[in-house]
Amino acid sequence: MAGLASGALFIQFDTLFRGCCLHALGGSDYVKTIMLVDDSATVLLSISGILTKAGFQVVTANSAEDGQKKLAGGTKPDLLITDLNMPGMNGIEFIKVVRQKAELRFMPILFLTTESQQAKRAEAKAAGASGWIVKPATADTLLNTIKLVLR
Amino acid sequence: MDELKQVFVQESGEQLDALEALLLELENRPDDETTLNGIFRAAHTIKGAAGMVEAAAVEAFAHVVENVLDRLRNHEIEVTTELAALMLACTDQLRVLVAAEAGAADKDEAQIAADSARLLERLNAYGPAGQHAAGSPRVVEPDVQRIPSPQAGHNCWHLSVRFGPDVLRQGMDPENFLRFLETVGNIRHLETLADSMPAAEVMDPELCYLGFEIALESAADKQAIEDVFAFVRDECQLAILPPNSKVGDYLELIESLPEDSLRLGEILVRVGALTADELAEGLRAQSGPAAGEMAQEARQIGEILVAQHVVQPELVAAAVAKQTQVSEKKAHDAKLIRVPADKLDHLINLVGELVIAGAATSLLSHSRRDGELIESASLLTRLVEEIRDASLQLRTVQIGETFNRFQRLVRDACKDLGKDVELLISGGETELDKSIVEKIGDPLMHLVRNSLDHGIEAPAVREAAGKNPRGSLSLNAFHDAGNIVIEVTDDGAGLNRDRILAKAIERGLVDAEAHLSDREVYDLIFAPGLSTAEQVTNLSGRGVGMDVVRRNLQALRGTINVDSQPGRGTRLTLRLPLTLAIIDGFLVVSANRSYVIPLDAVVECIERPVAEHDRNYFNLRGQVLPAVCLRESFNLPGERPTRESVVVVQYAGQRAGIVVDRLAGELQAVIKPLGAIFRHLQGIGGSTILGSGEVALILDISALIKISGQAEQRLLARPEQRSA
Repeated sequence: MAGLASGALFIQFDTLFRGCCLHALGGSDYVKTIMLVDDSATVLLSISGILTKAGFQVVTANSAEDGQKKLAGGTKPDLLITDLNMPGMNGIEFIKVVRQKAELRFMPILFLTTESQQAKRAEAKAAGASGWIVKPATADTLLNTIKLVLR
Repeated sequence: MDELKQVFVQESGEQLDALEALLLELENRPDDETTLNGIFRAAHTIKGAAGMVEAAAVEAFAHVVENVLDRLRNHEIEVTTELAALMLACTDQLRVLVAAEAGAADKDEAQIAADSARLLERLNAYGPAGQHAAGSPRVVEPDVQRIPSPQAGHNCWHLSVRFGPDVLRQGMDPENFLRFLETVGNIRHLETLADSMPAAEVMDPELCYLGFEIALESAADKQAIEDVFAFVRDECQLAILPPNSKVGDYLELIESLPEDSLRLGEILVRVGALTADELAEGLRAQSGPAAGEMAQEARQIGEILVAQHVVQPELVAAAVAKQTQVSEKKAHDAKLIRVPADKLDHLINLVGELVIAGAATSLLSHSRRDGELIESASLLTRLVEEIRDASLQLRTVQIGETFNRFQRLVRDACKDLGKDVELLISGGETELDKSIVEKIGDPLMHLVRNSLDHGIEAPAVREAAGKNPRGSLSLNAFHDAGNIVIEVTDDGAGLNRDRILAKAIERGLVDAEAHLSDREVYDLIFAPGLSTAEQVTNLSGRGVGMDVVRRNLQALRGTINVDSQPGRGTRLTLRLPLTLAIIDGFLVVSANRSYVIPLDAVVECIERPVAEHDRNYFNLRGQVLPAVCLRESFNLPGERPTRESVVVVQYAGQRAGIVVDRLAGELQAVIKPLGAIFRHLQGIGGSTILGSGEVALILDISALIKISGQAEQRLLARPEQRSA
């Protein structure tokens, strides 16, 4: 029974991840790309600073529309971090749009939220987000959360 | 001052300018949602940015301001001159606080703090009762009782996780959680449960069917372990038992586990109450053949285990009770036979072949002119038809279940939108093919959301218009001539003809001078990129939906129509074929090639005089109808016969005549889909095999009508060619 179960487990992970995310397993020198979308320049600068220092390649966008443009322009992030409250297209709409792209269906998506926005979490999760980061986040919390969702 | 601080100061300055401008605008237009949202967002951004640069004073102050603005945005408090003035004062204070952060304030710290405190006190009057400075109080876990129990369990936390099916689609990897668990402790033992995994052919590789039973050795507290699963907490079943839990806790866990027919020993191992060694010991001691009733066998193992003092008797009782439940459920299931879908598909396919063979026999009997043979063949045909209907019915399900899913959606959406809408469902017992039901769920959901979002007005607006403040949205289904019709009707504001037209002209979808009928204008809502919603909401309104809805329906050989009366409401009518496998068809011949027209589209057949051959319209008892000549459309070779026939077809309220060489009568056509390379063919919906073995193409009437309409318009656009 145990053998069969782990066999099934293997099939699922194998087909899903080894198959879909081949590029993410391209050896240890592969630099993971994180796309960061926020309308606040302060947030963009501080978070991208932490991420770059941790060895990630960071692509920033200052609006959902900008993010869409960059995604359409060939950026293939391993993780997307987006703010929810943005002028123009909001983060939840953006998550929905991103999730509809075939190549990004299984990409982890984190959204930035605050302690006071509990209700938004469920809405963003329903839109396809993987998890959230509570603002303001320390570098440790941020990197730990990324570790949880990023392979 | 470092770069980050500089950016913060600059950005805060911009946001504060925007905040101030919006606050002033708010006084003129206190109910404008856009303004309210903009104000909230500005404060929110400042707070978030302040947190990032650890500007605590700014963050704390902005937090309180944001809370009040949030209440304002949610209409919990009203905009007053006083409040607006206070907010402006707060904006000024934020400026001072930001300046102080940059070391450029022209007041001393004590004075700034005193100003902040004064303003905060005034703000508190607008905050929710008992507002706290920041964060929500954390629920304190009660002390976990640890009762030493030398016989059951080991010194580990026990985690029982069943991931939600959509975990992969949300970009999460179950394996990651397990890896992350290692950061709070050591996984001593892990069991993977794949019991909910369906057979390979129905398994969806995008869904997660896995569960895990984990023994975790950790010094962390329950909250820390639970936090690992925070992102999936709502969708997954998670039970965390502390080390050395009471036996009763394990019993509860067994009861709550998803039903499966696991053997007792394995359940015990999985919940960690037993080790595999203890189970093996029990199995060795069990003498005699292992065969027999599962529950009985389980009882035996249980008894042995109890006798050996390996497990507590109550634990065994719970596991046995669980297995009994499983077998009772199985007995109940026996009234329904579960049939793999592919077997059913095979049967339908065979019935299709039977229909073709029956048609061949019937053809042959008629050509032999043998009365008895004809009679016997017609009896056979009737029975085959019955078999066809009965076997198609095996695949049908009632649409009610799909409709009922919308109750929740409507309720939730109403809450979000602040509307009051009653969902009326009728015709839920109408049956249609399961494969169709599966595919119309999404388009329907979109239509319902659209109605809620744009169709039905807010209660206040409705009341002002003399309507019942409670809106109504109805879903209705019924059968109509070989089709199933689904109507989504609302009693909202209806479509705004002028606005749709203006938008379509703006987008270049229609000519500014074009004269369009109401129906043509309403049809524009299905054009890509057209949304008349003034404000885009979470639910809909980005104009990416209706064209997708129509495309999805067309893929099912269905159509969608919209009727609307300004101020009275909108009705969307979806027409779908009952089944995708077999249709009643009407056989026609052009240039010795056979074509099938779906019979439910055929209205009548008439003859066409030679004199009218060159026209692309004809006169049907005073009504002018466009004529589509198959010979021309498909570029068929050969001379046109002197007497042509016209099949008058109707589709989605539009009529047209299809000009063919000759009519060949009714038949049942088993649809054989065309290969992928023919996917882009317009006007052909599929193929079928005739009784004679000949292949006939099935015409796609809606596409043909559209093509003829387009050809007509091209012609009209170039009058010189027309006259030539």
